[in-house]
Parts: sequence; structure tokens; C-alpha cells
Amino acid sequence: MGTAAGMKQGDELLALSDVHMHFGKVAALSGINLTIRKGEIHSVIGPNGAGKTVMMNIINGLYRPQKGTIRFKGKRINTLKPHARAKLGIARTFQKVEVFGGMTVLDNIRLGRHVHYRSGILSGAVYLGRAKKEEIEHRAFIEEEIIDLLEIEQIRHKPVGMLPYGLQKRVELGRALALEPELLILDEPLAGLNLEEVEDMARFILDINEEKRWRVTCLLVEHDMGVVMDLSNRVFVLNFGNMIMDGTPEAVQNHPEVIKAYLGEEDLYATRA
Amino acid sequence: MSTTWLPCGVYHETYAQDHAWWQTRFICGKMVLLAVLLFGVIPFFADSYELSVCNQIGYTILGALGVQLLIGFCGQITLGHAAFLAVGAYTSTLLILEFPWPAWMMQWGLAYPISIVAAAIVAGLWSVLFGLPSARVKGFYLILTTMAAQFITVDFIITQYISQIGGRGQAFSLPPGTIKVGPWVIDSDLKVYFMMIVLVIGCVTVLANLLRSRAGRAWVAIRDNDVSAEVMGINVVKYKLLAFFVAGFIGGIAGAFWISNLAAVSPEHFPWFWSLWLVGVILIGGVGSIHGAIFGSIFMVAIMELLQLAVMPLADSFPKLLMDFLFIKEAAFGLAICMFMIFEPNGLAYRWWQGKNYFNLWPFSY
Repeated sequence: MGTAAGMKQGDELLALSDVHMHFGKVAALSGINLTIRKGEIHSVIGPNGAGKTVMMNIINGLYRPQKGTIRFKGKRINTLKPHARAKLGIARTFQKVEVFGGMTVLDNIRLGRHVHYRSGILSGAVYLGRAKKEEIEHRAFIEEEIIDLLEIEQIRHKPVGMLPYGLQKRVELGRALALEPELLILDEPLAGLNLEEVEDMARFILDINEEKRWRVTCLLVEHDMGVVMDLSNRVFVLNFGNMIMDGTPEAVQNHPEVIKAYLGEEDLYATRA
Repeated sequence: MSTTWLPCGVYHETYAQDHAWWQTRFICGKMVLLAVLLFGVIPFFADSYELSVCNQIGYTILGALGVQLLIGFCGQITLGHAAFLAVGAYTSTLLILEFPWPAWMMQWGLAYPISIVAAAIVAGLWSVLFGLPSARVKGFYLILTTMAAQFITVDFIITQYISQIGGRGQAFSLPPGTIKVGPWVIDSDLKVYFMMIVLVIGCVTVLANLLRSRAGRAWVAIRDNDVSAEVMGINVVKYKLLAFFVAGFIGGIAGAFWISNLAAVSPEHFPWFWSLWLVGVILIGGVGSIHGAIFGSIFMVAIMELLQLAVMPLADSFPKLLMDFLFIKEAAFGLAICMFMIFEPNGLAYRWWQGKNYFNLWPFSY
């Protein structure tokens, strides 16, 4: 599961070419080119308002760019609705947690598997046979693969709206993982977390990227430079809708324009001790 | 509301156990008692008036379930649900009175059951039609479009056109003996009661099953956060319309059921106030819970009947009370909603849930 037939590590998974997006007269993105390769963690950094979240919204279909193409696994997906892109294997988490507050943790994660459920409304209404069997199969998957990975056993029956922020972020990650995505968009997964939670979350991201079971390609938007430089294979730097550079973390750290626009002269991006 | 806590010492070893509805022997026993009460005690010990109150409650539950699905589970605020009840009632009535049923079908009493199914489907589709604006609008705007459903359906189409069928122009009278289910002619409160119980249990079961399977989760997700529901792969428009269909379907069953209790069907049975009333029922019972629809219906109907009992003896000395009873009723409705909004905004179902947890966890507080 997870890996598309015939795709190897390092093949092009997602490509944006010459993407323009403007709201009225404000140009949010002007001519972005980005290629994400299978199996990598590709980060996007940039100052506030640079257009990072707009880029994420374009990739999963909440916005439609005025110009340019988006290709996922070689197929043009410009006109697909977000739910159709989810079926193709694009999942995301949000900058401000967007969980289903009234549902339990388990139901949130079950909902992430929506595209994998097959039972229709009629078999759901009688809840015999396929619908019942399917619920148990998916429950087993969720318990063994996701709840166990994210260490949220003790809260599985709690409504998510009542959980602290850090756990909500974890549940949101679990929900995105339940989709068994090929590309996982993580929009500031570490924002608002304390140091211990940041370390946990960074470990989860590495796990889902590196473990044979998952091997999920990640697109990471983050402001915590220590984590970005440690985790990423490549870093894409955005400023006012323009690309400054796209390269390895080392190259980005030494690029004079990046330092000027974003990182600052001081040693902020040093790895956390 | 989340799942209820299990009593200390109850463990599950399979997922099937954890997915079951009734997870302890105590709950199974409770449900058996409820069944005995509903099928064995009430029908044989209640008099005709009490049975008619029960039927009124059942009708309110069937109506409120659809509203609960739309408002409580899918977040689509509706103020026109009586329209779908009316569509159900009229479809069923017209089918019974006008459709050329073969003689054997009439003899076997199939006409009315078939007409209930047809009424449910027609009301469901009619509901989808007025659910279409929900693809674009939500919140206050949706309230207005669903109110339009009420006025277009009941006040315009049914009053002006449907009522003219057969040249009567007013109400459709249902001659005794036309409402027949199998071998039974539904002509007494007791028979209506049994039909009501079967339909309520059926609809509650179907709705509860839907809510624990794929479609139901999608609805709740749309209620809680429609953007992330879309991003997680839910076709939001499709599931909203599906919710309207199921709500209309149950509403159609409610309307078609209610004609068994009526001597004649007229548009006045489905006023806009009834739509509002159903919303009040779920607010008092608890939004977002099936228990809520049931408790709210029991509470509202019981309060109104008690009010009537209280007014009757006073009427001798204050005849005006009787004259103004309709207004007293509406004032009581408004007052009840105000009190609940202030003192228990989560409704009766929340209190019920708290009580269950209290006894399951006793003697500990958590």
C-alpha cells in the first residue's frame, strides 16, 4: 500500500510549473516551480505572508491557480476538487488545527480512512455484513498502525475538542496518515508546541518518512529552522510569492539572499542541542 | 457527546465487542425492560387518551429525527421540515385514494405500506431539491432557503394545486377502512400505537446505524469542519444532499404515518410553526444526539398535555384561559426553550449521559 506501482524513490511525485495565483491585484504567487521527489522531505520556508499556505492550498485544491500546471504522478490535476485529490493520495494537516471537535479521536481517524471504505448508505443503514466487517477491519488497521505509532491509546474515545492543543495536532496527523497518503502536506506541524512535543512530532515525521511501512513523501512548511534543517532533504525558500532558491539545507543556509530575507545574520538555524 | 464510560471491570477483547451497541449485561437488561414496557405494558394498560398522547410523541420523534440529522449531525440548519412531512402525507393519501390499486392488493392491505415507502422516497427527493442551495450557502442563508421550501411546498403547491385534485379544494377526507396494513384496518389508537412503535424503532435503528458507519461520520465531519472534511476526501455536496435525502425520507415516513391518525388531510396540519416546533424539540432534547430527539419529543408533548390538564379545571372560573389556550401553548413553548438555553444548553440528552456516567463510575467521580 502507499507506494504507486512503478514509482521508485527519487521519481518526480508532484510538480508545480509556472504557477501564478493572485487575489484581486495582490499577487500571492508569481511563477513558482517546484518538484517534489518520492520519498523525500521537502520543506518550504519563508517569512510570514510569503505565500506558503497559498501554495499548500493550491496543491490540495482549495485554491485554483490562474496560470500554471500542477502534476501529481505525471497527471495534470489542476481541475480536480480537493476530495478527488485526496483519493489520489494527497493528505494534509492545517496550520491551525482543523480537527472535528465533536467527534472522538477514533472517529476522526476513521474519517481519514473515508476514501478506503467501500460500504454505501444502504449497507450502512442495516449495519450487517459488509459494513460491519469493514468497520472491524479498519479498526484493526487504525489501532495497529496509527494509534500505536502516535501513542494516543489512552485518549481514543475522547472527543477531540476537549484535548489539549498538542494532542489535537497529533490526532490531526493521525487522521491524515489514515488516508495512507503518498504525499503528506504538513502545514506548520510544530507551531504552538512545547519542546517535548516538538521532539515527539519531529520523530513521528521521520518515522512516517523512513519506516518501510509508510515511506510517505512529506511537504513540510515550518518556521522552526533547527527542525527544518535537520529533517529536510531539500528546502524551498519563498519570499513575496517568488522563489529565492531550492536546494539542500546546507546550500540554503549559506545563500546570502536567504540569510538577508529570512534567516537573519545570527546563528538562529543552528540545530537544537 | 462522547461515548459513555464503561463500568469498572468491563474489558473488551475484540473490536466487535467495542463496536457493539449494548456492551454490558446491565444495558441488555435495560433494553429488554424497555421493550416490555413499550410492547407489553403501555398498549394494554393505557387508555385511549394516553395512547393518543403516545402517538403524538411518536409522530414528533419521527419528525424530529430528520431535523436532528440535518441540524444536529450535518450542521445544515433547516426551518422547513414540515414541508417534507406534508409531502409524505399527501403522497401517501393521493396514492391510497387515487391510484388504481388491483383488488388483491387492497384486499391484502398492501396499498398503505407501499404508499409509505413511496411517500418516503418522494419526500426524500423533494428534500434534496431544497437541499441544493446548501451546496453554496450555509448558516442564516440556509435557514431562509429552507423556509422557502415550507412556503413553496405547503402554502403554494399543496394549498393551491394539490388540494384541487378531485375538485375538493380543501381537505382530503380519508374514509374509515382506507388505512389498512395487511389484515389490520388501522382504526383505533391502539393499532396506530403499534404502527408508531414499529416505525419509530425502525427509523431510530437506521439512523443510529448510519451514524456509526461511513455516511454518518462524513455528516458529522461536515458539521464540525467542512473544509477539512473536503480535504480528507469527502464529497461535501454529495453528502449534504444525502443528508437532506435521508431527513426527507424519514420525514416522509412521519407524514405518511400521521394520516393513519387523521380523518382528513389538509394543509393546516403542516404549518410553518410545526417546522419551528421540531427545531425547538431538538434544542430542548439536545442537539446532535438521537436520544435528544426522543427526550425532546416526550418532554414537549408531555408539557403541552400537562398544561392542558392544568388549564381545564381553571376554565370554569376563567373561561378566557380556554379561549386563549393556543397562545398559552406558544408562550409555554417559547418559555421552555428560553429556560433550556439558559440552564441546560446541551439539552436533556446531556443530562441523561451525565447520569449514566455517574452510575457507571460510582463510587468514583472519574
